[in-house]
Amino acid sequence: MKIKVLGTGITKFGELWDQSLESLAQEAALEAINDSRLTIDDIEAVYVGNMIYGKTANQDQLGALIASKLGLKGGSLRVEGACASGGLAVHLACQSIQAGTYKNVLVVGVEKMTDVGTSEITSALMGAGSEMERKAGLTFPGLYALMAKTHMEKYGTTKKHLAEVSVKNHFHASMNDKAQFPFEITLEKALKSPEICSPLTLFDASPITDGAAAVVLSSENDGKGVYITGSAVATDTVDLSDRKSLTEIPATKEASQKALKMAGVDIKDIDIAEVHDCFTIAEILAMEDLGFCKKGEGGDFIKKGYTRLGGKMPVNTSGGLKACGHPVGATGVKQIVEIATQLLGKAGKRQAKDVKIGLTQNVGGSGATVVVHVLSL
Amino acid sequence: MSTPSTIWRSHKELNNYLGKQGKLVVWTKILVAPKGFENQVPYLVGIVQFNNERMPVQIVDCNESELKINQKMEVVIRKIGKAKSEDVIEYGVKVKPRS
Repeated sequence: MKIKVLGTGITKFGELWDQSLESLAQEAALEAINDSRLTIDDIEAVYVGNMIYGKTANQDQLGALIASKLGLKGGSLRVEGACASGGLAVHLACQSIQAGTYKNVLVVGVEKMTDVGTSEITSALMGAGSEMERKAGLTFPGLYALMAKTHMEKYGTTKKHLAEVSVKNHFHASMNDKAQFPFEITLEKALKSPEICSPLTLFDASPITDGAAAVVLSSENDGKGVYITGSAVATDTVDLSDRKSLTEIPATKEASQKALKMAGVDIKDIDIAEVHDCFTIAEILAMEDLGFCKKGEGGDFIKKGYTRLGGKMPVNTSGGLKACGHPVGATGVKQIVEIATQLLGKAGKRQAKDVKIGLTQNVGGSGATVVVHVLSL
Repeated sequence: MSTPSTIWRSHKELNNYLGKQGKLVVWTKILVAPKGFENQVPYLVGIVQFNNERMPVQIVDCNESELKINQKMEVVIRKIGKAKSEDVIEYGVKVKPRS
C-alpha cells in the first residue's frame, strides 16, 4: 500500500465553548485541503470519524452535514467504531483509494464533548461497552481499572509506573500549542491526584475534549512526502469479561502484525509511535502488545525513558490522549497528523530526530476494535 | 437504553442466575458514575467467574477491604440503577460475598 498524506490540519484541542462541531470540522478540513494544495473541487469523497454526536446533540448524517458545509458534492459518510472511529475512517479512505474508486479523499475526525455534563458523556461513551457492563454500572475508567488492577497483581506494575506515562505525555504536550494541557506535571502531583476508579486516579485518565483533525489522502505517488504504507483493523469481543486475558489487547497484536506485514517492515524498524493512552495503563499495554517490550515489562520500559522525546523511540509526542486531549472521533486522525508532521520534520519544539517510519494505534472500547497504521517517508 | 419491553425480556432471564456461585476475578471501586448510578457512588464492580462464563457485575453487601481475588461470591437479584422514565423498576444480577 502506498497512499500519500497530501495535507494535514488540526484545531486546538480543549474545552472550546465558542466552537461547534461544524466549525471544528470545517477549520481542520480547510487547513488540510490548503496544506494539500488541492482545491475543494479536487476532493472526491469525505469520510467523517465521529462517535457520540448523534446521542449528545441528536444530529446524525454527519457525512452530508460536513461535506455540504465545505461545498462538497461527492461521496460522504460517517464512520463509527467507538474511540477508533477516526482510525477506521482513515482505514476506509485508504481502501477506497486502493480500490481505485477515488483519487483524493478528505478524512475528518471530529468530536464535540463539552456541551453536556460528565455523567451524560460517561453514559454516551458506555455505548461502546456491552449491555451487561452498563447494567453493572461500569464506566470506561472502570473497565481500564479492572485491566490495571489485574496487570498490577500479575506483573507487579505500580501506580508509579502509571503516573510515569502521564508525566511523559504532559512533558510532550508542553511543546504542543494545540494540546488541551500544554504544561508539565510532576510525578508527585500525578500520584496525589484524586482517585476516580481504583486504582486509577484523575491523572491516569484522558480528558473530555472538543477538537477536530483532518487529512487529505491521495493516490498521487511522486516519491516525495509521507505515505501510509500499512493499514489494518482487528476485532475482539465488546465485553471485556468475554476475553481470556485482562492484561492484553489481542486485537492490537493482530492489527499491528497485519499493518507491518503490509508495509514490509518489522516492529524494530519503527522510529516513532502514537498510541491510544485513553488511560495510562493502555499505553503500557500498547508497548507490550505491539511488541516494543515483553509482556509485563511495559511499565519499566516507559520509566527508563526509551519513549520520551530524546529516547530511542518517542511515543505520543503530541501529548497523547492524556495531555493533548481525546475528542474520541478525532483521535485516530490526530495520530496520523502527528506522525506525518514528525516524519516531515515540521513538529517544531517537539521534533524527534531521524524519524523515517512511524506507527499509530487507535483503540475502540476496551479493545474490541483496534486500527493500526504504518507511515513512512 | 432500558424500556418496558427490554426490561420485560431481561427479567425473563433472571431465574437462570438465581443461586449461582462463582469466584471473584478482579474488582474496582467506581467514584464517577454514569447516568442512573450517581446516587450509588462509591460502588464496587467486578468480574466474576461462574462455571463456563465470566460476567461483569456490581458487588453489594460488603466493603472493599473485605474483598480478595478468588473469593467465593453468590448471585443476588437487586434493583438496577434508578427507576426509568416509565417508572418500571428494573431488576438484575449482582453478587455478594458468600457467607
